[in-house]
Amino acid sequence: MTSPENGKGDEEALKARLDRLAKALEERDLRPPARRGEVDVSARSTGRALSLGMRVLSEFTAGIIAGALLGWLLDKAFSTSPAFLIVFIGLGTATGFWNVYRLAVGSTGAPRNGSK
Amino acid sequence: MAAPGKAIDPIPQFEVKTIIPMRIGDLDLSFTNASLWMVIVLLLALGLMVYGTREKSLVPGRLQAAAEMMYEFVASTVRGSAGNEGMRFFPFVFSLFLFVLFSNLAGLIPYSFTVTSQIVVTFAFAAMIITTVLVYGFYKNGMHFLHLFVPSGLHPALTVFVTLIEIISFLSRPVSLSVRLFANMLAGHITLKVFGGFVTMLLGAGAYAALAPLPLMGVVAIYALELLVALLQAYVFAILTCVYLNDAIHPGH
Repeated sequence: MTSPENGKGDEEALKARLDRLAKALEERDLRPPARRGEVDVSARSTGRALSLGMRVLSEFTAGIIAGALLGWLLDKAFSTSPAFLIVFIGLGTATGFWNVYRLAVGSTGAPRNGSK
Repeated sequence: MAAPGKAIDPIPQFEVKTIIPMRIGDLDLSFTNASLWMVIVLLLALGLMVYGTREKSLVPGRLQAAAEMMYEFVASTVRGSAGNEGMRFFPFVFSLFLFVLFSNLAGLIPYSFTVTSQIVVTFAFAAMIITTVLVYGFYKNGMHFLHLFVPSGLHPALTVFVTLIEIISFLSRPVSLSVRLFANMLAGHITLKVFGGFVTMLLGAGAYAALAPLPLMGVVAIYALELLVALLQAYVFAILTCVYLNDAIHPGH
């Protein structure tokens, strides 16, 4: 909302510049096409499984921790000792499952071209 | 021989020790071993990028190839997960990636200090990322940014519930981002030290010293695994930063 003209102009210029640079890069790209995207292929299997496993674990626990923390803070603010904590731990657990579900269906972050 | 119990204790490697004491008012601004290693990590990253790209030759040397590879790797990551508009955050993501990568790797050198094994450091990074997402999200989209939390096409009663869950989910992001990196580094270094401790204990246990090579082999294997984890965690940190920034750029999804 803040100064749309200014931001738009900036954006336009940046986009044009990126396009120009991308075109120039493509023209100079002498690598055989088969070798492109090699970077993406290298860290497959073990590394990927490992990182995915760690992500599932941490997303799940983080949901519960964040819920508990929020509940605890609300309890402290309204001095309703365990009420909010109990409710928000439940909600946090649901969030944990939701996080893992979203990870599994892969809907966070729109177009991911093979670089997951 | 001094205090063998202390030599195999896996925790002291994470202690922050003051090197140059400094105080301003009530603030403790001492230069510690953590600060020292942050400076070293910065110099390493800076050295690779500046020294590696000084020649700009068409056929890159080793350092230049490494620098270019890292640049292209992060650039393709950013473009892949945050789109072309995400490229304006490329310097941010690239600096984060380099810092985390080099501190993870420098931490694998024996007797060094792992900056990323301190939750203060990783949480500071995560807080910085989330603040960036919030500020840029509201700056770019205004109140439309809040649609990130409100799913469309649901029964009204369910919408309240899911919105609450989405908000907690957003709050859990800095937690998961910081805890994952910190926990990986901490656990890896403790495991290494414990296996190293097994070697010394077995060596000092008479005939059982014959078994000492077994944990030694374990140390080597775990060290290789740690190298993988160090690279991987830096990558995961960078890609998640991109994913979160993507939410700030396109909150409609």
